[in-house]
Amino acid sequence: MPEKLVRKVTAVIQAENLSKLYPPRTRAVEGVSFKVDEGEVFGFLGPNGAGKTTTIKMLTTLASITSGEAKVAGYDVKRESSSVRKSIGVVPQELTADDELKGIENLILSARLHHVPRSESTKKAQDLLKLFDLEEAAQRRVRTYSGGMRRRLQMAMGLVHSPKVMFLDEPTLGLDIQTRTKVWDYIRRLNKERGLTVFMTTHYLEEADGLCDRIAIIDHGVIKVSDTPSHLKEKIGGDVLTIGLSDGEDLTQFFNSVPDVSDVSREGQVYKMKIPRTERALPTIIEGVTKRGLKITEISFTKPTLDEVFLEVTGRTMREEEGVQESWIQNVNLERAT
Amino acid sequence: MFGDLAALTGRALRKWIRNPAAVLPGLFTAVFYLALFGNSFNPTSLIPSNIGGFQLTTAELEQIRVSILSQTFGGAATYISYLTAGIISLILVFNMAFGGIDLVLDRQLGFLNTLLTAPISRASIYFSGVAQNMVKAMTLALLTFLIAVVLPNGLILGRGFGVLDFLGAMGAFALLAFALSCVFTALALSVKSIDSLVAIVNFATFPLVFTSTALFPEGGFPSWLLSISNVNPITKATDAARLLMVNGILSSAQLTTFAWDGVYLLVFAVAMALLGYLAANRALSPK
Repeated sequence: MPEKLVRKVTAVIQAENLSKLYPPRTRAVEGVSFKVDEGEVFGFLGPNGAGKTTTIKMLTTLASITSGEAKVAGYDVKRESSSVRKSIGVVPQELTADDELKGIENLILSARLHHVPRSESTKKAQDLLKLFDLEEAAQRRVRTYSGGMRRRLQMAMGLVHSPKVMFLDEPTLGLDIQTRTKVWDYIRRLNKERGLTVFMTTHYLEEADGLCDRIAIIDHGVIKVSDTPSHLKEKIGGDVLTIGLSDGEDLTQFFNSVPDVSDVSREGQVYKMKIPRTERALPTIIEGVTKRGLKITEISFTKPTLDEVFLEVTGRTMREEEGVQESWIQNVNLERAT
Repeated sequence: MFGDLAALTGRALRKWIRNPAAVLPGLFTAVFYLALFGNSFNPTSLIPSNIGGFQLTTAELEQIRVSILSQTFGGAATYISYLTAGIISLILVFNMAFGGIDLVLDRQLGFLNTLLTAPISRASIYFSGVAQNMVKAMTLALLTFLIAVVLPNGLILGRGFGVLDFLGAMGAFALLAFALSCVFTALALSVKSIDSLVAIVNFATFPLVFTSTALFPEGGFPSWLLSISNVNPITKATDAARLLMVNGILSSAQLTTFAWDGVYLLVFAVAMALLGYLAANRALSPK
């Protein structure tokens, strides 16, 4: 039955109980389910070997699905792989632009392989070179490019056929902080200006926090949590508010009575408490303190980070994961890469 | 599919043309074999002038030399004239075998995955590998032929050798190149590392060459080697091209031999294309 090219899409990516088993017994992904809506930036967060790249490989038709179902841009990944490939742009971890070709040649090659009409491919290539600030380097061979330029060219190559969904696998891996920030800006612009749906994997927590509308944390092939970055942080107890008061009555009872406030502790006249959103509770707290005739001598609050969420979910910090890699995970990754 | 095939083949050839280091080793091999091996290992120069106290005159020596060339070396005017077709086959075999390294690199550097996520057919990936290696190897074959012609004491073409003979010889080489390219492209798409490819290629190419008539005439082969040589496609391509290059105008018997060699090569090429495609398709399918 011929695959239809135009369909009404609500969720752009849908995965139901997606599993991947590498023979003989390596279960890389185990029953993951998630949904990515149109125009959303969805982050897949997890340590190396957690199953991020395998999930991307299944969704982009590079790896077979052992069990479960997945749809991308409304097409069944197993049965309509050709239509899936027409709808997606993939920016892999590796820098795959051809060193011996010029920047513009790489883009035009990518356009031809995605069946962009010849009459449009040069124009599209030039537009993308402009968008990614590569105009001046367009006629240079890629072997003369810096790492950041290669990464930008790689992203441009993934966009040359105007895909509905962009898969970014570790888009800023190995880049310095300046270049990384620039790549984030490009992703934001693509998402806002073109309404591009982005599915990205990363193990940079600040990247996921700053870019993604929603995040799923995957570990050992299983999705541990999935929500917006702010909700995930709220779930681990919210902000920690520190408030110092002038001498006077004990306000522990009062603080405990403020909605959503928990874990109130007191050390002298300095109180500490957890609040899901300090911005909402702060007016009530200040009003209550002032009514009781006390003066605020100090006030500060710290917001929880995704690192704390990661620690809570996986039992270890991301830095520990980056530093120490179990050899079997490396072996599995090497095998998958080849 | 043809647009994809053209795009991928164009990419590979553009890289090849821009990198003279990729072309020159093939040409050096041709020059070394023809100029050094062809001159130093000339069997007809090994005839002793004194046999059991009987001194041969220069005329007698020349007569023996001509007899050996006509009876054992298929009528070639010189050993290099005999050798040229074999050297071209040799260059085709080694270029096809090692041509797959670029494809393994494409896999290792992630370019192959980029292709596999693009809406192109697996067949275009496979046949672009075949086509790029064919073009590269046939360019070298043509250049080797020209080098042999212009080399001092080089290739002496048979009387009446014309454009059709040239096309016939190159056609035989092209069929061999296509068949070998199908085999080695499928192999390159199936292996995971360059080391594996080189190991298999080294294991396969030397027996392929040395069980053929590329370098030596079959007159000296033991019967078991002769049986292998007779079905070796390198023998078929070399003999077919050599027949034209050495003799020029063919007798009807020679023409029949040439035609059968051509049919054999054609069938072999089609079979390798099918088998290679099946193997490549399997290698490129999602795992």
